[in-house]
Amino acid sequence: MSLDEIQDTGAQRLRRSLIRIGAMAAKETIHVRRDPRTLALALAMPVALLFLFGYGVSTDLDHLPLSVADQDGSDVSRELTRTLGASGEIDVVSRTAAENAENLFRKNHAVGAVVIPSGLAADVAAGKRTKVQLLVDGSDPVVANQVISKVDAILRAASPRLAGLDVVRLEPPLSVKVWTLYNPEGRSALFMVPGLTALLLAITAVMLTALAIAGEWERGSMEQLFATPVGRFEIILGKLLPYLVLGFLALLLVLAFGMVAFDLPVRGRLWVVFLLGFVFLAGMLGQGLLISVVTKNQLVATQAGALSALLPSVILSGMIFPIDNMPLLLQLLSRLIPARYLVHGLRGVLLKGNGLDVLWPDLLAMCIFTAFILAIATARFQRRLA
Amino acid sequence: MSDTAPALVASGMVRSFGAVKALAGLSFRVERGELYGLVGADGAGKTTAMRALTGLVPLDAGEAQVLGMAPGSPRVRERIGLMPQQYSLYRDLTVSENLLFFGRLAALPRPLFRERRERLLAITRLARFEDRRADQLSGGMYKKLALACALLHEPEVLLLDEPTNGVDPVSRRELWELLHGFVESGMAVVISTPYMDEAERCTRVGLVHQGRLLLEGRPEALLAASGRSTFEDLFVHAIAEAA
Amino acid sequence: MSLAITAKDLTRRFGAFTAVDRVTFDVEEGEIFGYLGANGAGKSTTIRMLIGLLAPTGGSGTVAGHDVATDPEAVKASIGYMSQKFSLYLDLPVMENLVFFGSAYGLQGETLKARAEELLHRVGLAGQEDMTTGDLPGGLRQRLALASALLHRPRVVFLDEPTAGVDPVARRAFWDLIRELAAGGTTVFVTTHYLDEAEYCRRIGLMVDGKLVALDTPAGLKRTWVPERVVVARGRNLGEAAAALRAAPGVKAVAPFGAALHVRVERSGLDAAGVREVLARAGGRDVTAEEAAPSLEDVFLAVVGAGAQGEAA
Repeated sequence: MSLDEIQDTGAQRLRRSLIRIGAMAAKETIHVRRDPRTLALALAMPVALLFLFGYGVSTDLDHLPLSVADQDGSDVSRELTRTLGASGEIDVVSRTAAENAENLFRKNHAVGAVVIPSGLAADVAAGKRTKVQLLVDGSDPVVANQVISKVDAILRAASPRLAGLDVVRLEPPLSVKVWTLYNPEGRSALFMVPGLTALLLAITAVMLTALAIAGEWERGSMEQLFATPVGRFEIILGKLLPYLVLGFLALLLVLAFGMVAFDLPVRGRLWVVFLLGFVFLAGMLGQGLLISVVTKNQLVATQAGALSALLPSVILSGMIFPIDNMPLLLQLLSRLIPARYLVHGLRGVLLKGNGLDVLWPDLLAMCIFTAFILAIATARFQRRLA
Repeated sequence: MSDTAPALVASGMVRSFGAVKALAGLSFRVERGELYGLVGADGAGKTTAMRALTGLVPLDAGEAQVLGMAPGSPRVRERIGLMPQQYSLYRDLTVSENLLFFGRLAALPRPLFRERRERLLAITRLARFEDRRADQLSGGMYKKLALACALLHEPEVLLLDEPTNGVDPVSRRELWELLHGFVESGMAVVISTPYMDEAERCTRVGLVHQGRLLLEGRPEALLAASGRSTFEDLFVHAIAEAA
Repeated sequence: MSLAITAKDLTRRFGAFTAVDRVTFDVEEGEIFGYLGANGAGKSTTIRMLIGLLAPTGGSGTVAGHDVATDPEAVKASIGYMSQKFSLYLDLPVMENLVFFGSAYGLQGETLKARAEELLHRVGLAGQEDMTTGDLPGGLRQRLALASALLHRPRVVFLDEPTAGVDPVARRAFWDLIRELAAGGTTVFVTTHYLDEAEYCRRIGLMVDGKLVALDTPAGLKRTWVPERVVVARGRNLGEAAAALRAAPGVKAVAPFGAALHVRVERSGLDAAGVREVLARAGGRDVTAEEAAPSLEDVFLAVVGAGAQGEAA
């Protein structure tokens, strides 16, 4: 029975198409299984990077080294100094003259210097307002901000006690209470992990698939493929599937790690996380495939892939730099970046417990990106050598 | 699609790559049941001609038709088989896995696939090496596997680009025996080869030089007409005269 | 004459598989030595051991006086190697390729340039310095590859299937170059599947399944391995008729050689006329048959073909 004799209905054609896609996916899976480096890239790298970023790059700073210049030398000033050190977030590393502060900063021995003016105790006893000076090393604004806010907080909390006031609290007519929801301790890990997840998945996904098609061109097997009935979209889809599975595994690993090592909370539904991650992955894999299709060269594909995944994900996704602070042009640009939607979505689900009712725009945006990029990849996939 | 129509027609194929004119008006036709040989020096245009016939390289001018259809169209691809010059099978896949992949690309029903697979493994004598990875096969075995993969869907036209390059004399003869068998069953085969003795085994031969055919015809006839005793001699002198 | 290459019980195993099994031979200086065998017989593995790329698992070998096992770097520095796929950079111009390979061997500056020019001239590529390598036809590219292997004036040159895929005209020109090289004192170790080229070798080694089963001059090999009569038959419809011939008494083998058949038959069996008759009776048309001297391809088929029931692994 030759193929000609089979009635060539639409259903028959679809069935054959699915078989071909399955064949491409199965073959790609074998390649991946037999290439330990790809597996390592896909699974080990994200976790390793998460570790690195999470532990190594914490923007929380404990143990800020501070020096104190006590020009008063009174019980009050000594108590003040002791309070600073007892907070646990500040290390009083030296007591020194105020003039020495700059020297300390330059040598990195301290990031701030508290100068307690002489006459502090006298002023406190007399009920007069008095000031304490804080010199800060401004060369690292992140650290400087931390120093300022922590010292300020500590001193505010301590000043009634230091002034010897008892339970009598002077209540201002309007008090503002600040409740920090979702991330009360301001742990940067909670802030970072969703962003990191997006970044790591983006890089991994794009790099994995960047090699997939360029590799066939380089190895010479593309010529053979094009002589068979397989279509371009079938090739792309078939190559996408195993990496989708792999990427999903990577997502699970990253989340698991985040939960275990960084106490990442999962306040929303896990299936929403998976759905968002899945669509994001498909889009990133598509991006890699597009690069692969266009460059036909594995070396260029890898580099282009890494760059195109890394830069937008870090800069425009809201992972580190808040989108609302960006100039308008960049804000608009960020709307084109799937990572933005994933970061927003992940934070929404993990930290706020949101569901699709709130996050559906993010999901939709990523779906559109994915469909769009796969369409372009197929269109640009030339069945031609030249 | 009548059975008397030629399997393959190339007329006036022209193709340039930058300043290099790879095809300068190449024309020939191949009937069913014919083994047509394209013989020529490296760079004469053989591979470009093959690629034009599979649709991989579009033509600047002229035309190619395979089974009456444009090369590269989906319906044609179901009925042709290709063995390209480059090593195009998947090296980290085993013999079995490669066969399975190409079988599924052709969407062969399972029992049919199994039957053909067994037969091809038997006649290529690769059955013993089913589970060997393609990159661990010797050159001759590899080429036989590539041939088997191209034949799974029983194409009506088979295109082979220098299939016996780097293959030892024994394996070469085995490959040719296989080819003769298929030609006898009605397949149209186009083969490009640098081996002059293989040119003699073709039904008809076209001598390609600088993108055009210098000579064409049955090998015996060409030899008789030129008065040379071997095809190699014929080739050397024809090229020299054309230069 | 001193020995340019020696191999004594050279062996290489990959796990349980023995790719090269106790191979022993010598090659004299200035000799063109051919190394033949079926695909997978172990030729490439042997070469890789001799040029210092692969360590032997047994036996020993020397090249240009250096031990291949203990001193592979010295070996590499004294030999030229033209690999099967030639490792030229296709996007570089011809001269740049030469300059690159020359500098890899430690040549530099004016010496390098002069030497490169000299070689380009010698291989017939003068004037093509700026041509992009990838645009060169195969025949010229292989000459460039040869030139790049000769920059540092090696005493021994290894050529692995240097003429694969190249047309007869270019092949002949290439072998003229090789013969010139050898005449100048360079030892040439060459593998090829073109048995007509092998006739140019002074001696030939033939490998089957990892073992060196034959080692002799071309004439010697023919005497030893094809002592029978060789009859060349031409005609039409020989395909089916060949089966009848194989069954005829004294016929050892019938092999296609182009459109002709080479028949190896015992001297006591059929003669040329007899062969013609058998073929004509079995359906052959316009059959001619005449006795011919055996060729190296006949030798190859006799040595290797007999064992081809199972593939070389």
